Amino acid sequence: MQPYLAQALDASSTFAGAGVGWIDALRRAGADAYGEHGLPRRRDEYWRYTNLNALLDESFKLSETVPAIGLPTLPHPSVAGLATYRVVLVNGRVQPKLCALDGMPDGVLISGLEDLLAAAPDRLEPYLGQIAPLEDMPMAALNTAFLQDGMAIFIGENIVLDKPVHLISITAPGEGAMMVQPRHIVVLGPKAEATLIETHITATGGSSFNNIVTELQLAEGAKLNHFVFQEEADTSVHLSGTAVSLAAGSFYDSFVLQSGAAIGRSEIRAYLNGPGVDCRLDGVYLGTGKQVVDNTTYVEHAAPECRSRQVYKGVLDGQARGVFQGKVHVMRDAQKTDGHQLSRALLLSPRAEIDARPELEIYADDVKCSHGATAGELDEDSLFYLLSRGIPRTTARRMLIEAFLSEAIAEIPLLAVAEDFSTHVRQWLTGHIDQQADGAGT
Amino acid sequence: MALLEIRNLHANIDGKEILTGLNLTVDAGEVHAIMGPNGSGKSTLSYVLTGRAGYEVTDGEILFDGKDVIEMAPDERAREGVFLAFQYPVEIPGVTSMTFLRTAVNAVREHRGESVFDPMDFVKYVRERATDLNISDDMLKRAVNVGFSGGEKKRMEMLQMAALEPRIAILDETDSGLDIDALKVVADGVNAMRSPERGMLLITHYQRLLDYIVPDHVHVLANGQIVKSGDKALALELEEKGYAEFLENAA
Ligand SMILES: Nc1ncnc2c1ncn2[C@@H]1O[C@H](COP(=O)(O)OP(=O)(O)OP(=O)(O)O)[C@@H](O)[C@H]1O
Ligand SMILES: [Mg+2]
Repeated sequence: MQPYLAQALDASSTFAGAGVGWIDALRRAGADAYGEHGLPRRRDEYWRYTNLNALLDESFKLSETVPAIGLPTLPHPSVAGLATYRVVLVNGRVQPKLCALDGMPDGVLISGLEDLLAAAPDRLEPYLGQIAPLEDMPMAALNTAFLQDGMAIFIGENIVLDKPVHLISITAPGEGAMMVQPRHIVVLGPKAEATLIETHITATGGSSFNNIVTELQLAEGAKLNHFVFQEEADTSVHLSGTAVSLAAGSFYDSFVLQSGAAIGRSEIRAYLNGPGVDCRLDGVYLGTGKQVVDNTTYVEHAAPECRSRQVYKGVLDGQARGVFQGKVHVMRDAQKTDGHQLSRALLLSPRAEIDARPELEIYADDVKCSHGATAGELDEDSLFYLLSRGIPRTTARRMLIEAFLSEAIAEIPLLAVAEDFSTHVRQWLTGHIDQQADGAGT
Repeated sequence: MALLEIRNLHANIDGKEILTGLNLTVDAGEVHAIMGPNGSGKSTLSYVLTGRAGYEVTDGEILFDGKDVIEMAPDERAREGVFLAFQYPVEIPGVTSMTFLRTAVNAVREHRGESVFDPMDFVKYVRERATDLNISDDMLKRAVNVGFSGGEKKRMEMLQMAALEPRIAILDETDSGLDIDALKVVADGVNAMRSPERGMLLITHYQRLLDYIVPDHVHVLANGQIVKSGDKALALELEEKGYAEFLENAA
């Protein structure tokens, strides 16, 4: 049997919704799809450069107990200072005492998934497992076999949510090697608007394996800004799979900052199903030591006159490895598609590495598409220019790295998030770059 | 003691010898002009003086204030007071001119044991100097040299010199690409910086600049050496006769 499958089959009979026909069937479909496929391997198109051998021996056990922890000080002061609806997960389970959901407007539901599976599963049935394609996402299939808890958001037609939703996901592994399988669902009605911020952190302890699936559905003209901070500890394997279904005229803007985890992977699959969709997928990643940071995207233009833009920028030091795999798939009817994709990596050390594979697959004839990938060291001319003005080498390098990332961060429409992203980048540079630069000589 | 003394300087790029035994002495308070044919090694000399990577000194000495600078890192030299106005100033997207200038000036001031500026005071300090050079606030807010015209870039180099107050300033063809009015603005800026403590090396192709900034000495650099030195009359002579004489000598 495939690793982790027995754990899923054992545990799921006790999960909320067991006995409800479609929920049982969905968990079984997840188990079957995963059972067929097993853990992703290099021969899988979207897993060419990130291997999961660390998971093979099944040392990670499903978290059974949730430690009673308070809300930790978050690494993002500006976001922490925002008024938000707050959902807090510890080890994949919603902690009602740490959440702040008072004052939700009529027509808005923000809830723990487990509660909803028990209380009103019918609301979830049309969406859950319907957006993420299990056959293309083996880790989402595994997550589905473990389907238990997470966050659910429903925003009704024409409602502009008054505050962002902040999802704080804390993994607290205790002594051993712990696994969590959270599942999130966000459904925006026609012309609804919302902002979702996610923070992923680890409490001290053993190692952890966090396998997250998020399904997003945007109806006609809906608008979602989605910001993710992935700052888990270097004892963590963080795999996130997001699938977003976009109806006509909707707008989805995603920005992912990854700097944590031993293996950090963000896969986003966007389905542009109606005309006039605007979809932006951006990311910044920072890697050092032996980290692997993977950003994988799939953008499917199924309807005409949609726009998609992707810009991923990374800084890699030490022996870190970055991965960017992105495919823009333009189907035959998707005339007037405007699709762009760019990967840029800065390699600060001779042993850092990037595997970038931007791809276009185009079946329509009247489209405007481009893709590109660059990788390189800091520009010597720029560095010398700063040095020649007396700026110390460490500072000069830091200025150039920040400048490289700042263009990406400047695109973030929510000021508090942009501020925290910059602060985080600056702190990371102070922590990881300075010692190295000092030893670099002239 | 001379401010800058270069003795028998040999330097390579990619294993190819470009400077072939160059001698030059600049005393404090003096302005020296260096002229010479394209490819003779003028910019190379400016990069060797500022310590650019890839420029290897194989023989000779560079003494700045009596100290050997060859082993000094470029940022260290700059903090000691060596300044180069680049022939081709570099564009740095994502770094605003103001931040760049403040970081540089504060690094240099800290090194000299002077107080560093906070951002507000610094804006004042820079504005005073920028106005004289016709540099707008808008330019200072933009990224370093990005989208600047050729002339704007050269004026920005002059602003950096004025703000950093170096002991020796090397101006590599700061006059090229300037219109007549800008040339006057730049020349006025340079003249204002002339002082008994400061030395200057003006690299130029045009004697016209020397009408505005009258040099104490003029040198001809050809084939990696100073082959002739004189006063400002030499510049006029070169204007008339060109460099044929020196190139033939070398052949
Ligand atoms: N990176 C390099 N690799 C090889 N040769 C180089 C390099 N840079 C400069 N050179 C050579 O060194 C010589 C001197 O160049 P340099 O730029 O110092 O000339 P210059 O006197 O400043 O000329 P100009 O008046 O055109 O500015 C030239 O022959 C040039 O081709
Ligand atoms: Mg030159």
